[in-house]
Amino acid sequence: MSRWDHRDACAIAGIGHTDFSKNSGRSDLTLATQAALAAIADAGLVPADIDGIVRSDYDHVSHNALADAIGADNLTYWGQSGPGGIAPSSIIGQAIGAIVSGQATTVLAFRELNGRSGARFGLGGSDKFVVGGNASYDEFFNPFGLLTPAQMFGLMQQRHMSQYGTTREDLAAIAIACRNRANANPNAQMYERPLDLETYMDARMISWPLCLFDCCLETDGAAAVIITTTERARDLAQPPAVIRASAHASGPNIQPGQMFPALLRDSIIELPGRHVAKLLYERAGLGANDIDVAQIYDCFTITALMEFEDYQLCERGEGGRWASSGAIELGGELPINTAGGHMSEGYIHGMNHVLEGVRQIRGTSTSQVEGAEVCLVTSSPPPASSAFLLVADR
Amino acid sequence: MTDMPRPIPNMDDLDTAGFFKAAAEHKLTIRTCTQCGASYSLPREYCRECGAFAMEWKEVSGKATLHAYTVVTHPVHPAFPVPYTAVLVDLVDVPGARMVGNIPGEHHLEVGQAMEVWFEHVEDGIVLPQWKVAE
Repeated sequence: MSRWDHRDACAIAGIGHTDFSKNSGRSDLTLATQAALAAIADAGLVPADIDGIVRSDYDHVSHNALADAIGADNLTYWGQSGPGGIAPSSIIGQAIGAIVSGQATTVLAFRELNGRSGARFGLGGSDKFVVGGNASYDEFFNPFGLLTPAQMFGLMQQRHMSQYGTTREDLAAIAIACRNRANANPNAQMYERPLDLETYMDARMISWPLCLFDCCLETDGAAAVIITTTERARDLAQPPAVIRASAHASGPNIQPGQMFPALLRDSIIELPGRHVAKLLYERAGLGANDIDVAQIYDCFTITALMEFEDYQLCERGEGGRWASSGAIELGGELPINTAGGHMSEGYIHGMNHVLEGVRQIRGTSTSQVEGAEVCLVTSSPPPASSAFLLVADR
Repeated sequence: MTDMPRPIPNMDDLDTAGFFKAAAEHKLTIRTCTQCGASYSLPREYCRECGAFAMEWKEVSGKATLHAYTVVTHPVHPAFPVPYTAVLVDLVDVPGARMVGNIPGEHHLEVGQAMEVWFEHVEDGIVLPQWKVAE
């Protein structure tokens, strides 16, 4: 076997999601069940066809709880693939591994969270009293007032602005591009809520220079996809979104813990995505110039900006100026986050990005990029990154 | 939210408590390999550089330079009233070693500017090496 064996071997055959809201009023299990059933039906399958389930470390719903709930009685494979935002693309990679190695034929991948009405990432772990220990290393951060993701990305944003001359207007371009796409997507949380530069610039600061509109939403919802062989997908209900290649990579100095230790890497304004990109493009036999549309993980605008550079969509240090040039808008060089992204569609930890990638390949996006044949989907930090490339079945 | 106590470091962890015990004596230390000199901002017992299990708490000077900062304005914890300025510093003595701290109030600083340690008494036995602009 070689590192290219999985090229084009598998495809996403079904997608499903719940509504994205601030208060679902349903359990995590109900959300996961609804998204899973929708994805299975979209593929033209029934729950008994599912023999594998892969999820994020952060899902409250276990593989067995979901299998039991939907009646997937023939599981031969299950796994989980990293915390929150890193997970979705590496989940896809894990599903491919299971299928190509013969351990499963039809894998359900999902992410579920009541991210607004339940546990909110924006509040950090601040309800704990004694923090750290057991290689979490939280004791080196939380007692010093570093409590939330916004504070960490505020540090990264400040450093990028200082080092490369990136401006708030540059970051606004990312938030506004996502909002523009959300305003065409009726399922987006920010549907029919336009955002302009003046509103962005006047927004309250969360962790200067990071403002309210640099932050993603907090969302209750779930999303799920079905992965199977490309050959089998051709016989199912939807045109296959073929997974050209998949990669997850840490690079050196992965750092322990969940989040803040990433501040101790050599550079805090480059993410492990740069290692993923190299591997992904090599595996795919494609490069950044071949990509027609991209779904870029955007927990914060600065996260997306760093990934523009990591995935070689522009030169290192130029991410801000590239974004504000119009490149990422519909009709631009590389439209991004065409359903609205985490900024404005919903924050399903990157799994909604996977679904939108599939829609672009099917030609069914609410902001369809005409003739899109190659879509990059990324999942991001900390403490590692993953991504994959979807292509049309040719 | 008003009842939440300030988070304090775990003082029992076998790998990391020594850092805070040294801080209680107003010493800034970094876990350092006695065999090859490699240092670890996040302490552990195994040296990935040389393969030894031979670490010590090496006292270092409290000199640093500013790597990045952010002014926290959105309150999430009563023990940290906003605004405060969170800082990320590079230790001058130990290339690659980095630490965090906070300065009450809003301050606009310069990347690369000189910073220095001070020791904050949080409660009995809990002392944090903190960072301020060098005088």
